[in-house]
Amino acid sequence: MSYYDIDSILTDAEKIPCTFQLDIPDLGYLDNTPTQPLKAGTKVSLPLWLAEMLVIANTGGPDNKTFVTFDLPRALGNDVVQALKADPRAVPLRDQSAHFYGLATHMMDLSEEQELGSVLRKTFVTRAAEISLHARKVGGVGTKGKGKDEGSNLGIGGAGEEFLRGLDEWERKLFRKAHDGAKAGKEWMESIKKN
Amino acid sequence: MPMYGDQGNKLVQHAKRMQNLTHLPPYQTELVRAVTREVRDLDKDVASLLEPFQGSFDPSADQSTACTLLVNHLSMRRNKRCLLAYHRTRTDKLEELVWSGSDVLDLAGQQAGGANGATAAADGGASSSLSPQEEDYVRQYGDLLAAYKGQWTDIDLTGSLEPPRDLFIDVRVLKDAGEIQTEYGAINLTKNSQFYVRQGDVERLIAQGYLQKLG
Repeated sequence: MSYYDIDSILTDAEKIPCTFQLDIPDLGYLDNTPTQPLKAGTKVSLPLWLAEMLVIANTGGPDNKTFVTFDLPRALGNDVVQALKADPRAVPLRDQSAHFYGLATHMMDLSEEQELGSVLRKTFVTRAAEISLHARKVGGVGTKGKGKDEGSNLGIGGAGEEFLRGLDEWERKLFRKAHDGAKAGKEWMESIKKN
Repeated sequence: MPMYGDQGNKLVQHAKRMQNLTHLPPYQTELVRAVTREVRDLDKDVASLLEPFQGSFDPSADQSTACTLLVNHLSMRRNKRCLLAYHRTRTDKLEELVWSGSDVLDLAGQQAGGANGATAAADGGASSSLSPQEEDYVRQYGDLLAAYKGQWTDIDLTGSLEPPRDLFIDVRVLKDAGEIQTEYGAINLTKNSQFYVRQGDVERLIAQGYLQKLG
């Protein structure tokens, strides 16, 4: 992930629930009360780019605590994890977060959650197979119903549509790559036949 | 809840949308200005927070100030990243356009003109979708590319990678391009006329949108 990577920057804007551990007079605006001090124990949703450092940074005080503590965002909460365990394909990840995997990767760096990693790995593998299946199907439609579906990468009908709408950014990229690859392969085969 | 970094985020969302476009949308002058202003404000805040300490600030003695400083610093860093990423996405696109041989400066003027009708076309340059710095960048990058290409006279680095099927092609002239010299004499390219010409002679004019390939 490069410094200039747009998706990585947008992932850093995802918010996670944080709790401040000390009173801070000047940060009231984070809790939408600019005139009041921010009290210890206040829960605020902070973007990753801010939360990440505040969670790691040490206050430097004698008790060695950090400025804020955090909880897992709802996108990675127990409900979602249970649903993913049951059937990864049935969960529209996009509704949880447009950058679901990116968010999850960040959170696993920060927390000691053991189970999450293996659940997500299984989720991705299962869904990736489904994605490539759909991507290939779309390639077929493009040549049969010529003109109509051409150009629109996501012009798919039927049952797959709902699944594809639930893809997060990373999965969408995968879908597009798989789809373009299948299409380019087909085009190449046809150009060979022509000559 | 408006927060530091929100404006920067908008800028990056613009960049994200831009990645899927073939043309270059207008430069977000206002947003860029708002984000830089935010950085300046944050810097002023930091300066005034540190002022009473006279250069001897001890983070462990004043934790809440330390936290505020950290938040301000992170916000500035975030804004910087958003600004750089936005501009880099645009310059990448501009370089791509220069390599593909399209006349970027001319194109920018046309797009702006086309939106306001034909009458605005004359002063299209004023409402270009490029910032003045970007126009400069394109010009200099174009010069650089030309100098680089100049080292090899018998190969066109920006030429098409597709081998031509026919040496000669039919073209229609979309806009006046004046007279060009070919091996077979001069051709006067006036709008709406058609010619049967050697592909190599007109490839650049096709890329620039002066000619349209027929058949």
